[in-house]
Amino acid sequence: MAHLRVSRRRFLIGAGTAGAALALGAREAPAQKKAASLRLWILKTYVEPTNKAVEASAQRWAAKHGGTVTVEYFTFEDMQTKYVAAIENKNTPDVGQLETSAPARFAGMGQLLDLSGFAKQVESQVGKPPANVAPVTIVDGKTWAIPWYIMAPFWYVWRDEFEKKKVKLPTTFEEAKQAAHALNRPKDNFYGLGQSWNRTADGYGVMQSLMYSYGAGWATRDGKYRSLKTPAMQKVMRWATDIYKEGIQPADTLTWTGSGNNENFIAHNIAQTSNGPSITFAMENAVAKATDAADRKKKEEALANHLALPHPAGPEARRMWAIAMSFSIFKNSKDPEAAMSLVAHLLSPEETLGVMKDSYGQFAPVLDKGRLASKDYFSKNDNYRTFGRAVEWFVPTGWPGPITAAAAEVQASNVLTDAPAKVIVDKWSVDQAIEWEDKKIKEIYSTLGA
Amino acid sequence: MRLPRALGRDTGAAFLFLLPLLVLVIGLIGYPFARAIWLSLTDKLVGYPERFVGLRNYEYLWHDDTFREVVRNTLVFTAGSLVLKVLTGLAMALVLNGAWRGRNFFRGLFLLPWITSTVIIALTWRWMFDAFPGRGFFNSVLLDAGLMRRPIAFMAAPAGAMAAVIVANWWRAFPFFGVSYLAGMQAIPRELYDAASVDGAGAWHRFRHVTLPGLKHVLIVTIVLSFILTINDFNIVYVMTRGGPGTATQVFATYSYEVAFNQLRWGRGVTVSIFLVPVLIVAIALVSRYLLRERE
Repeated sequence: MAHLRVSRRRFLIGAGTAGAALALGAREAPAQKKAASLRLWILKTYVEPTNKAVEASAQRWAAKHGGTVTVEYFTFEDMQTKYVAAIENKNTPDVGQLETSAPARFAGMGQLLDLSGFAKQVESQVGKPPANVAPVTIVDGKTWAIPWYIMAPFWYVWRDEFEKKKVKLPTTFEEAKQAAHALNRPKDNFYGLGQSWNRTADGYGVMQSLMYSYGAGWATRDGKYRSLKTPAMQKVMRWATDIYKEGIQPADTLTWTGSGNNENFIAHNIAQTSNGPSITFAMENAVAKATDAADRKKKEEALANHLALPHPAGPEARRMWAIAMSFSIFKNSKDPEAAMSLVAHLLSPEETLGVMKDSYGQFAPVLDKGRLASKDYFSKNDNYRTFGRAVEWFVPTGWPGPITAAAAEVQASNVLTDAPAKVIVDKWSVDQAIEWEDKKIKEIYSTLGA
Repeated sequence: MRLPRALGRDTGAAFLFLLPLLVLVIGLIGYPFARAIWLSLTDKLVGYPERFVGLRNYEYLWHDDTFREVVRNTLVFTAGSLVLKVLTGLAMALVLNGAWRGRNFFRGLFLLPWITSTVIIALTWRWMFDAFPGRGFFNSVLLDAGLMRRPIAFMAAPAGAMAAVIVANWWRAFPFFGVSYLAGMQAIPRELYDAASVDGAGAWHRFRHVTLPGLKHVLIVTIVLSFILTINDFNIVYVMTRGGPGTATQVFATYSYEVAFNQLRWGRGVTVSIFLVPVLIVAIALVSRYLLRERE
């Protein structure tokens, strides 16, 4: 039996090698056996360099693994239509980028692969999401998607307007309204605020931030329906409608589409608005495209003059709804292993950092390794420091409960923004509008359940 | 052996030739229509199998205040557009029917809106009504002319938004009316006008008693055809207002889309459209009747 005896030295070498191999294996994405051909659906944002960076990252994976990745884009406008058509025609992509509510909706339909094991497996490589973002991708204890970044709204203001009138920069919705009154100059076609209750994330997203910050919500902690007929909701609706009644916004605010507030803010027609960093992108881009020195100076001044503040808080807290983008793998995928390998590649801190750098602050990583890697990038200036903190204030659809199909439908049905519109346009009372909204939400929960 | 004889020797060949058409009619019209009817009787949600629920979707919509608003909006949108189209179509035909230099150029020019993409038309009209300082056409003209100091937000009020989508829809389709009426006018015998003139009829009486009766069939066909197209219109409303402000311009097509694709309730979304079917069947029957009568 002498040949079976193992010296201490040999044992330590063996254990070390095995440990290193195991550790390496754990860090590696799942092994990919043959040349894969994958379809990847990604969001086309207003910031074109971000789109190109994501596509380039996917192609790097393809080159590294000798496979092919066909990248297809969807926009905010046709995201829902494309996925619905794909689901009904059983033509879903292998990997799809999903927005805040989609993992809960699609997991319920049985469209997504359970990624619980994969999420644990790649945790050491890509990191974990913070506790407030994780529920976006978890339904009934299972992980259906891996979150990547959030595209958050911030409170954009013109610094000079506030300084001229010695008005305090707002930290709450009430302060924002008071500031709007102080800065309002309708005679010059300059208004204190620009907040549209339209059918885009600039409408229903801000409405949710407003509601949750005031402690108003339509769901319980366990995701069941609760009545909206509360004093908190009355305060929310009053804020949402008073800004129209009190003449502190341009008369056409309610007709703005997704870009209306960007345009009006950049054109210096309004003092404050809620928007994602696409405003900063447009202004940085304008500097880069300046035609001469004078033009450049003017645009640099404008860039330095615009401030992105944290989204206002309410009496309860600062809770900010945002677009949380994650990656899911669809059950129809012919090569789930390769799909996982691609997702692990896209989520890696190096690739995340690469995409983020081309995003002009729009892309705030959520996985802790990505966040750590992005610290330098987000210390560029005050605006970027605020962008970098977006994850702290994030709350998902249906707060304080988890995202459910019913909560997602409440957002998608536009009742959240149609209710203030009923008061503003149809001259309903606040109570009437809340009653109407509550009835619609109750009906959604009664037919879909939580 | 009796049946083939009764049907004739060419029956087999006739069926063979009809087969492609039959397949097309069943495949492209019969099946989708039957499927839509079936879906309206189910609680079909995207991604889930459908379950039969009888008339529950119809009952829900019947009691839904948003749907009632949608019906009202659709009727206003369709009626408003049709009235404008008929009036301007007639005016266009009357002008182009006269003998004057350059009328052929204008006959071509007037067709421009009809051949332009609907989305481009909707975006253009959205820009025309825009209240963004220095951009919206109407506001810029009025401000520059010193007629007002602040831009008017045409599309922020329900009536203004509805007027804007009606105008865009009218502008797109009036050339179709004009060309149809022009063709109809040219088919009216010249002698009828001469006889009316001899009897002392003025321009208005000639129009009322000769032109309008001569155009009766064309008028009915264009109105009914346009009614069918307008009541189903999606692009103009979706691009210009998205059904807003609030639900002030939400019509059948946009509401059906919102329910089916955003709320993922296909059964209910299809039901919104199916509500129109009886109205459309009557309209189609009317068109077919007049078209066939004209041929006879």
